[in-house]
Amino acid sequence: MNFFRSEEHVARFNAQRSLEPGATIGAAKMCELAHAWWDTRLAPDWRPRSRDENQAILDRVGLTGEFWRLPGG
Amino acid sequence: MDGADLALRNHTYARYVELGRAPSFQELADELGRPIEDVASRMRRLHDAHAVVLEPEGDRIRMANPFSAVPTPHRVLAGGREWFANCAWDAFGVLAALDVDGHVSSSCPDCGAAVEINVHDRAPVDDDHLVHVNVPAAHWWDDIVFT
Repeated sequence: MNFFRSEEHVARFNAQRSLEPGATIGAAKMCELAHAWWDTRLAPDWRPRSRDENQAILDRVGLTGEFWRLPGG
Repeated sequence: MDGADLALRNHTYARYVELGRAPSFQELADELGRPIEDVASRMRRLHDAHAVVLEPEGDRIRMANPFSAVPTPHRVLAGGREWFANCAWDAFGVLAALDVDGHVSSSCPDCGAAVEINVHDRAPVDDDHLVHVNVPAAHWWDDIVFT
């Protein structure tokens, strides 16, 4: 998962490496996801989240659809 | 993953932040008063549960997500230290985990241009960069280093 300057740069990067295009989101959306996903990572009583709890985070920040569907659902 | 595995995981993360780097298995064994073989086997279980990522040799930490124990193009200045993150998501994740404002430095892998992003109050400041996710969520853990 990399930062890019624009969609044009994403497309050129993928084409030059024969990579299947994935999903492109704004850095602000990724930052929102990161804070929802990682904000308890250092909690002294941290415990692993379930698959459904993780999927709920993706849904809550608006990352829905097949690309964002975690395995096991 | 049992209670002792979870305690090892949580101790590892706490020490990671205190040290500014991944603790070694020997350091963890000494601190917890356990045989290093016990720490290594519990770390393997944590790796299998995706709670940490070990190097292929299984003898040291590669990722304590969102932190990277090896240098990467994704650097985060936060809390008076520079951290390495595993990817763009994790770069913001380091700030989220530490619960601080900070600065993310990376580069566009297409053109090499520097990416410099200030993060304040959990959001990038005046930024219009994009993040591309190549791997669908269903396959993130198939090869987490590539993801």
